[in-house]
Amino acid sequence: MGPYEYLALLAACLLITAPLEIVLGVRVYRQARRLGLTLLCTGVVFVAWDLLGAVLGHWDYHPQRISGIHILGLPLEEYLFFLVVPICAILAFEAVRTTIDDVGAWLRRRVGRR
Amino acid sequence: MAYGYTLLCAVALALTFGLERVLRTGVFRSRVYWVAMAIVAFFQVLVDGWLTCRPIVTYAEEQFSSVRFGCPDWAVFTAGGMPLEDVAFGFAMVTQALMWWVWWGRRLAAAPDRGR
Repeated sequence: MGPYEYLALLAACLLITAPLEIVLGVRVYRQARRLGLTLLCTGVVFVAWDLLGAVLGHWDYHPQRISGIHILGLPLEEYLFFLVVPICAILAFEAVRTTIDDVGAWLRRRVGRR
Repeated sequence: MAYGYTLLCAVALALTFGLERVLRTGVFRSRVYWVAMAIVAFFQVLVDGWLTCRPIVTYAEEQFSSVRFGCPDWAVFTAGGMPLEDVAFGFAMVTQALMWWVWWGRRLAAAPDRGR
């Protein structure tokens, strides 16, 4: 894996959640404007925190497990992290919203049958 | 300063609850939010566990509580695992993302001619 390990982990997060959009049919990527504005509002704060944490020495990165591309002193992967993780969380949130009534009804039927 | 990460986590939690007072999305009263957060927490243990057990990200011991979740006893893992503070970091980031998602959803729906 070497220098692609962190990138591969982020790619895996996107791959695992992709069926929520493609199969389950939640509309997250397809609301590009809403998603972009959400990622911007969240990203600004958390990238700032990440920069601060790196400057203050709260954390560091294993040099052999990141691509080596840095922007303002932070690995490229860290910026992607603040896009990928919110996207996955929003997909989960929309998937729960879409299915919660059906799952609830199914659980009630199961319990009622006992 | 020692416990710097711990302190910033406390600030982030306060900002998260403060942001909800401004945006008024109602996420904390919604069942969908809490179920989603439980699912997110499960995957955070996997992903953050990998990041901190391998490790890809390393933490300065004196900057956090030193409470870690630990790692499976596998040869690929050589570090201590997820700091307790990462739970707060993840909670703050994901909650803020979901609050903005709900807020922008309402805002853009109120002006449908601008498209989604």
